[in-house]
Amino acid sequence: MSSPVTFLTDFSDRISPMLVKELRQGMRAKTFIVVFLSLQIFLAVMLFSAGAASNSNSVGTVISGIIFSFFAAAVLVVQPLRGISALSSEVKGNTIDMMVLTRLSSWRIVLGKWVAIVSQSALLLSTIIPYLILRYFFGGMNLFAELVFLILMFLTSMALTAVTVGLSGCTSVIIRFLIPIIGLPVLLWTLAVTFLFRGFRGSSGFMDLFSLDSTDSRIAVLSYVAAIVYLGGSMLSLGASLIAPAAENHAFLRRIVAFFAQLVLLVLGGFDKIDMALVAILSLIIAGPAMVIALTESAILVQTVCKPFVKRGRIGRALGWFLYPTWPSGILFTILISLIGLAAIFSHAMFDAGTSHTSVWGDEEAVVILSLLGGILFPAVWQVFLFRGEGQRVAHYLLLLAGALVMLGILTILAESMNSGAFLWFFAWNPLAFIAMLEESKLDDEVLLGGVIIVDLMLMCILFTRAMMDIRKSAPIIHEAEILLENPG
Amino acid sequence: MSALKVNNLYRYFGALQAVNGVTFEIPHGSVCGFVGANGAGKTTIMRILATLDYPTLGSAEVCGINVVHRPAEVRRLIGWMPDHFGNYEHMTVLEYLDFYARALGYKGQERRQRIQEVMDFTDLVPLADRFSNKLSKGMTQRLGLGRALLHDPQVLVMDEPAAGLDPKARVELKHLIRVLAQEGKTIFISSHILSELGEMCDSLLFINNGRIVHHGDAETLKRGSDSVGGVLYDVQVAGDPQGVSDWCVLQPNVEFLEARKHGGRIRIDTQDPTKAADILARMVKDGLRITEFHREQRNLEDAFIDILGRLDAGKEALVPPPLPTPSSASPLITDH
Repeated sequence: MSSPVTFLTDFSDRISPMLVKELRQGMRAKTFIVVFLSLQIFLAVMLFSAGAASNSNSVGTVISGIIFSFFAAAVLVVQPLRGISALSSEVKGNTIDMMVLTRLSSWRIVLGKWVAIVSQSALLLSTIIPYLILRYFFGGMNLFAELVFLILMFLTSMALTAVTVGLSGCTSVIIRFLIPIIGLPVLLWTLAVTFLFRGFRGSSGFMDLFSLDSTDSRIAVLSYVAAIVYLGGSMLSLGASLIAPAAENHAFLRRIVAFFAQLVLLVLGGFDKIDMALVAILSLIIAGPAMVIALTESAILVQTVCKPFVKRGRIGRALGWFLYPTWPSGILFTILISLIGLAAIFSHAMFDAGTSHTSVWGDEEAVVILSLLGGILFPAVWQVFLFRGEGQRVAHYLLLLAGALVMLGILTILAESMNSGAFLWFFAWNPLAFIAMLEESKLDDEVLLGGVIIVDLMLMCILFTRAMMDIRKSAPIIHEAEILLENPG
Repeated sequence: MSALKVNNLYRYFGALQAVNGVTFEIPHGSVCGFVGANGAGKTTIMRILATLDYPTLGSAEVCGINVVHRPAEVRRLIGWMPDHFGNYEHMTVLEYLDFYARALGYKGQERRQRIQEVMDFTDLVPLADRFSNKLSKGMTQRLGLGRALLHDPQVLVMDEPAAGLDPKARVELKHLIRVLAQEGKTIFISSHILSELGEMCDSLLFINNGRIVHHGDAETLKRGSDSVGGVLYDVQVAGDPQGVSDWCVLQPNVEFLEARKHGGRIRIDTQDPTKAADILARMVKDGLRITEFHREQRNLEDAFIDILGRLDAGKEALVPPPLPTPSSASPLITDH
């Protein structure tokens, strides 16, 4: 009888071990099997029924709608939700330690988890193509638009899966379940409204939106794709950070990318043909995730991480304080990137002010941008005082952020019902309150702008002071790294 | 060069001092048992040695390589078996080992050969197609040991491997550890079952409240004096066993502890065997018809309790090295 080991040839050695593991497990998971079979059975039944009663001209469009609805449910809801426990199950099962002891880096672990779910989504995608081909014969199909829509849906699924896999590094059940269930639809809707619907204004039908026959629609689709790719990458990087040993610095690449992207926007902000609102939105999309992750880093500083910076002398050391994977350096990075982002937005505004063409940029937009920036800083200020030295910083931060957003909602409702926004000034310590003030207050926008600048500066000062206090405590570790460099043995 | 060397190791979790100035060395090819109550600091030290945690102060080396400075090299030398680890759903034993073999960088025929060797050693071949999360505790531990041995490590660190095992599984595990020790591997193993550690370990390391309170071999511990410095003897006589207690009352340095069916258990306040012989001679001379007189070996649990008792009584001041002042030493890490 041959040994069972001889049958271990089902996957090539070239495929990542993590992907092999996840595919072996994932293809046997009931969720995938149920989704896969249900989708096939439903689509087959639906096509046969439609074929039998195909005397209406609109039947093709109806079939398209049904195919896309069910595919969307599978790849935008079910598949991303499968990532919710991807990393936390490894952490809770103590298996993450054993993986870390192998040659797998935390990036490869997270990437393997993500690729496994995405490849199963790709399998689902490939199985609906025959139905789309059949649907073609029912007529009324905008082939190019439907393909673009399908690809966008798949890319969105990839990004949403990245969000759930990244957040699954949190062991907090509340965060892992509430964020995907409540946060993902909100995120998806915001991105779609921000980019797609902006670019597709004036299109006649829903599917015509994806024909890409105008420059606006092409820019909108490209911006949307760039935004979800960046968001997905950031979230996977967050997941890697959450499970990484202290010796790995995942903050470096993430922060460098965000820094240079902001610099590019700063340059773009100087061109008057670039839509100001688009610059502001892109700046927020680039800086937002980078800042949130930087402010919630939970890694401890070790000499191994300091060594590459210390080796490069004074400049390297100075860079280290912005690029170490700890939250104090995250605060310094956040302040730096905020200033660059604001410079990008306001340089454009200043440029506009000095030219004759009509500017869409005003104090109101500035208040919104600064309020959102303050909204990112605000939970971090609470966190450094309330949850010092605790793990699960991301979970705490997101809960505080959710609290601040709920507060904003309540304030807006109250202001509307009282028909007066004056009392909102009592809540000005939460910068998001300024957004409510814009709608309700009778105050001049310039006054609100002044107010939100003061609040943001105060938050930055508090965070800066707190960061410097902790950075001073870390000086001995840098010293240790120097000794290590001098005596490598 | 030692296989494991821990020097003045501290680990703080916020205000909690989990490890408090621990220093010890374990030579190559030896089996060392690590004993201590829950929360004594065993797992923390083991995790630091396995490069899974970082010391606040001090150093730890595996085969002369610092675990903080060169963790990747240490990981190639060490096999880590945690006290508890979850197994994967929908994954067979064979696939489980295959995943770790791939993750360790084994490819092709070499990977299959290594898995075969480990499965043969841990007797996992009959379980190859069983789902890894459907195994009994004993089988799971064998699978965990197999995983830890995949890269043929020189040092094996095992945290409570026998916890929750039935007697048969315990015997199997003990056998595997003995074979590994014969192969020259250094084994650092923690357990609550002290009698088993005594049987298989060359040395024992006792830890309490993050401090090492004893490091020595099991035989010395068993033969050592008790908490008040005496040695226990079992005395049996023909005739009235009451005679033994009556005789002890009149003797200096001898204390009757406990009546037994044919005699009793006595404590002699000396380590010197010739003095014990003198006492035996006096007993015979005084008319006690001795049928048995032998030194009792303490079990390791008694020895451990005795050591803790001595610490409580302040007889043995096992003070860790003084905590370096901030000016003389720096923390290796800071918890923000």
